Amino acid sequence: MKKIIELKNIRKSYDDTVVLDNINLDIYDNEFITLLGPSGCGKTTTLRLIGGFETADSGDIIFMGENINDVPPYKRNVNTVFQRYALFPHLNVFENVAFSLREKKRPEAEIQEKVTEMLSMVALSGFEKRSVNSLSGGQQQRVAIARALINQPKVLLLDEPLAALDLKLRKDMQQELKKIQKATGITFVFVTHDQEEALSMSDTVVVMSEGRIQQIGTPVDIYNEPENAFVADFIGESNILDGVMMQDKRVLFSGHVFDCLDSGFGRREQVDVVVRPEDVDIVPVERGMLCGVVTSVTFLGVHYEIIVDINGFKWMIQTTDFCDVDEHIGLYIEPDAIHVMKKSEYSGMYGDYSSFSNELDELSDAEMEPEE
Amino acid sequence: MNKKSNSLVQRITLLPYSVWATLFILVPLAFVAYYAFTDSDFNFTMDNVMRFFTATSMVDDGETVREVHTYLLIFGRSLKLAVISTAICLVMGYPLAYIMARSKDRTQKIMVTLIMIPMWMNFLIRTYAWMTILQDTGILNGILGMLGLGKLSIIGTEAAVVIGMVYDYFPYMVVPIYSVMAKMDVRLLEAARDLGCPGISVLRRVVWPLSLPGVISGITMVLIPSVSTFYISQKLGNGKFYLIGDAIEGQYVANNLHFAAAIAFILMVILLVCMALMRKLANRKLIVA
Amino acid sequence: MKKFSKIYTALIMLFLFAPILILLVFSFNEGKSLSVFSGFSLNWYVELFKDAETLGAVRNTLVLAFSASIISTIMGTAAAVGINKLRNKYLRATMDTVTNIPMINPDIITGISLMLMFVFVGRLFGAATSLSFVTMLIAHITFCLPYVILQVLPKLQQMDKALPEAAMDLGCTPLRAFFKVELPEILPGIVTGMIMAFTLSLDDFVISYFTSGNGFQTLPIRIYNMTKKTVTPKMYALATIIFFVILALLIISNIIESSDEATAKPTKERKKASRHSKIIAGSLGGILVAGMLGVLIFNSGKTQVLNVYNWGEYISDGSEDSLDTIKAFEEYCFENYGMKVKVNYSTFASNEDMFAKLSSGAVSFDVVIPSDYMIARMRDNDMLLPLDFSNIPNYQYINENFHGLYYDPDDLYTVPYTYGIIGVMYNANVVDEADVGSWDLLWNEKYKGDILQFNNSRDAFGTAMYKLGLDVNDPDHAVWDRALEELKEQYPLVKSYVMDEIFNMMESGEAAAAAYYAGDYFTIMDNQAENVDLRFYYPEPTNYFVDAMCIPSCCQNKELAEIFINFMLSPEPAIANAEYIYYACPNSLVYENEGYIEDMGEEAMEILYPELGNFKELYNHYAYRSLSEETLNYVTSLWETLKIN
Repeated sequence: MKKIIELKNIRKSYDDTVVLDNINLDIYDNEFITLLGPSGCGKTTTLRLIGGFETADSGDIIFMGENINDVPPYKRNVNTVFQRYALFPHLNVFENVAFSLREKKRPEAEIQEKVTEMLSMVALSGFEKRSVNSLSGGQQQRVAIARALINQPKVLLLDEPLAALDLKLRKDMQQELKKIQKATGITFVFVTHDQEEALSMSDTVVVMSEGRIQQIGTPVDIYNEPENAFVADFIGESNILDGVMMQDKRVLFSGHVFDCLDSGFGRREQVDVVVRPEDVDIVPVERGMLCGVVTSVTFLGVHYEIIVDINGFKWMIQTTDFCDVDEHIGLYIEPDAIHVMKKSEYSGMYGDYSSFSNELDELSDAEMEPEE
Repeated sequence: MNKKSNSLVQRITLLPYSVWATLFILVPLAFVAYYAFTDSDFNFTMDNVMRFFTATSMVDDGETVREVHTYLLIFGRSLKLAVISTAICLVMGYPLAYIMARSKDRTQKIMVTLIMIPMWMNFLIRTYAWMTILQDTGILNGILGMLGLGKLSIIGTEAAVVIGMVYDYFPYMVVPIYSVMAKMDVRLLEAARDLGCPGISVLRRVVWPLSLPGVISGITMVLIPSVSTFYISQKLGNGKFYLIGDAIEGQYVANNLHFAAAIAFILMVILLVCMALMRKLANRKLIVA
Repeated sequence: MKKFSKIYTALIMLFLFAPILILLVFSFNEGKSLSVFSGFSLNWYVELFKDAETLGAVRNTLVLAFSASIISTIMGTAAAVGINKLRNKYLRATMDTVTNIPMINPDIITGISLMLMFVFVGRLFGAATSLSFVTMLIAHITFCLPYVILQVLPKLQQMDKALPEAAMDLGCTPLRAFFKVELPEILPGIVTGMIMAFTLSLDDFVISYFTSGNGFQTLPIRIYNMTKKTVTPKMYALATIIFFVILALLIISNIIESSDEATAKPTKERKKASRHSKIIAGSLGGILVAGMLGVLIFNSGKTQVLNVYNWGEYISDGSEDSLDTIKAFEEYCFENYGMKVKVNYSTFASNEDMFAKLSSGAVSFDVVIPSDYMIARMRDNDMLLPLDFSNIPNYQYINENFHGLYYDPDDLYTVPYTYGIIGVMYNANVVDEADVGSWDLLWNEKYKGDILQFNNSRDAFGTAMYKLGLDVNDPDHAVWDRALEELKEQYPLVKSYVMDEIFNMMESGEAAAAAYYAGDYFTIMDNQAENVDLRFYYPEPTNYFVDAMCIPSCCQNKELAEIFINFMLSPEPAIANAEYIYYACPNSLVYENEGYIEDMGEEAMEILYPELGNFKELYNHYAYRSLSEETLNYVTSLWETLKIN
């Protein structure tokens, strides 16, 4: 695969706040890559650097082998779908889409043809003369995509494009975006704080936090093999426990030594252990590797989410079996359900499930103040 | 925005204005100070400024003869009339702004234009027309006479000067308050009602504090021109209300540029301090309220 | 509640529009009075369109307002864009503060500060005049700028910041992105800002008053300078026309808007938007062109320019079928000398006002027409040039009595224009004949609240000093203190201190006794209300004054100035001016002219032209003379003392 964009040792700060700290990232041709992270992690800034709306303090941006540090946005073969679409309110749908062609002074016939083609691709034929303000959120979204794609850019940058849509529409648009990407063969660089969105759409996911890249990988890798506690916590639900590596493929946590598949750690090395809630089996107490008391049960449709107190640590377990509150249960964990990670600065920051407040805070943050 | 082009754009767009503001706003003020503290040969002197604070004259109010500080008295009188006018503008204008903000869009537009229209007539002519209305044999007394209500003697009184000021500066009070109120979220009022606030209380606890920024700029925009006017007092005050503006103009005409500058300088300093204090106070109130 | 709102709104509107209604009604007044309605007539509208000076002032006002609003809009918009991008907190705060200064500074201070700077800089560079159209324009732009910025800035802040980025993303350079995307977004703010700037510039008097210069006078200044004479209903007619033009514009724009709203279905949005922007662009363009044209007209041609500085309403201006003196002079020059001459005619409100402007170097004029004592002061300050009388052959018609008067003992500098005597007029229906005859009438307790006094220190002190038999030119403070005592005594009796207001007040019977310049008595008498019966007498002693034409040392075209002076003495303009001003004229071509004598009538001739036998003696004894700076300052402070009573 061909590298289309390379970010090399990018650093960026506003005033005294470091926003990007030594970012290195390769983006390949025809790839759907997602920058994922909580608000303030630097993902939008990264996108804006590629778009040309920000300049890095140091480091290089290479586009198809050429350094584009000083190339202004209007000369970059990159287009952007903005967070709240940034459609031009004084122009109608047709003129919004035709904007860049008009800017290039293309002949009228070509403009007509291309705009019509783009609008039919995003299923908005017949909306040409409509004011953009009269469109629904989803329709505005499609106009924004059509407008950005009409130039056939090498790379399309999408900055939280689905954040303003409701859940159902968001799912549809995810499908559609994926389809468009496949059809056009354009590289999509997608920014989101929604891990589900990231996992379902991307070829590659880049998890960012505090201006640094935490992990780059396929959605499956990221989910199954998180590199540190931050990634484990941010992607999906996880029980993160302090553990000690007894030897290769043997790890101690919660007072029990488990078999696992991980190796290559030092002897008695302190580690973080991740166990996904859906990977824990509920068994009678006597057969359980660990035992605990159920403290809460929530019905979520496809499964139950139960919280189990094991020696004071609250585990989350997703199961289709029903348990009652205060019931004593045993837990059984297969070796391949255990993932061992090196200790990192994030160790110990993500506690147990005694409350959801942290997560709630983060969710509401993301909604209230979208990143700059 | 790209940082480099950003700063370039900033430089290009801000440069003309920065140069202009320096040359024609800041430097002229420095000249006021320069003239205020120099004599006619441009040697430094405190005399002009001191004269403002120390000049005295004898006032005979029929019974007793008192010695008063001429310019302090003039300034006090100007301030008094300006404060009264501003208060009246506020009391008259606030309900109107509220009514406007709550009417239909079209009505709002029409009312704003109606309020602005008199400003397109020259203010000297408007003031002249008020003379015709207010003088003893004027229109107002004509109407009152026809109604058998007797006569009012308004022209030449403080009331006439205040009417002139209120009339001329009324739009400056209404428009800022209105524009703040028009932007006010109706849901806030509903929320206040929902929380058990009766009508008057909604006004006092929600509308008023939220409209304070508009009120402040309204007060500023009325108080300042009325404290410094010199035409209204000449025409409607029968030449008997000598205000600080008249003093500046009088000294200018008498060719005492340096003393005129001194009065202007002191007026400016007092007003700037007042405005700063008012804004501070209002800010604090805004947060508490 | 609804009803209350409606009534309340109606009352306020009544308050706002009452004066406008008044001026509308009085613009149709047959008579000249602004307080006595004597019949319907369109006369003043006809007069207005004949009055080249007033129309010129209207044009100047519009040119100034257009230029100032356009320039301040462009600069202010750019500034708003820049300020909006400022990230540095302190810089931003500084910009905000500076922007606020012209708004929270009283306009009198803005005016004075600019005037001081212009004059100082002008002096530094030795410029003949420091004030001009340009300085006035600068002043107007300066006070308009903050309003534009404060209208545009919020629009920029509300705008989605991604819009310009989106445009750049799609291939626009930052500049094109601004014009194609940002500008349409903030256009409403820009238009509002521009309209505000235009309105403010149109309405401004105070700042213009301090910064106006040669030959470029706006309407407010012209009106203000009518202070010695009267504001005519012409001005009301003008205001009425302005009112209806604005009303029409507003109605038209409202109709366009509402028809747009009615027809604008979603599919027509684009059309509507383009139409709107076309209307806006069109009007912007129109305004720009009009402004440019105006400035061009103002500056056009290689004609010779003559700057004349005179009292307001002190020349025959073509109204009421009189001669348009200025135009006649321009034609005269063309016919007799083949010169294209443009007269910049400006007016002042008082001798002191004129002197302040001239001596500060703020303005320069070729001909000025001040009063005697001011001429003496100018002469003492070397501000006058000796005349070349070979260019002024008509000087021979000036009555001998006006040669060698104290202010110009060797007849070097001046040619008398008018002269007069201060007398007392009274309403015989109120005042007992037994009480008239002397200055005492103005101090008579019986007429408390019916007495008018001059609203200028020299004349007011004069009345008291003549009454007391004091020398009006005595430098001794004690003498002035004594006069002040007299004025203080009079203060409770005085209804009003007046200049031009005397016309209304005497005509309508608002006041019963006043001292004023003899000629004006007839203007007032012509307009007196039915229940008013005005009479006139000269108290003894009283003030004799001469207003004379002279050439200040800043003159740029002395020969043309002399031609002008000579022209003013020739029969047609001289008679026209004498009839227009109603003051006595020292020119024998005038006072011996039978047509003139007939026009004036016997009574007027008697009062205006009393025996000239011992005029010179009386004049040299009683006329005002130039007082020293020190005495003047003292009198000014005494005057302030009187006024704060």
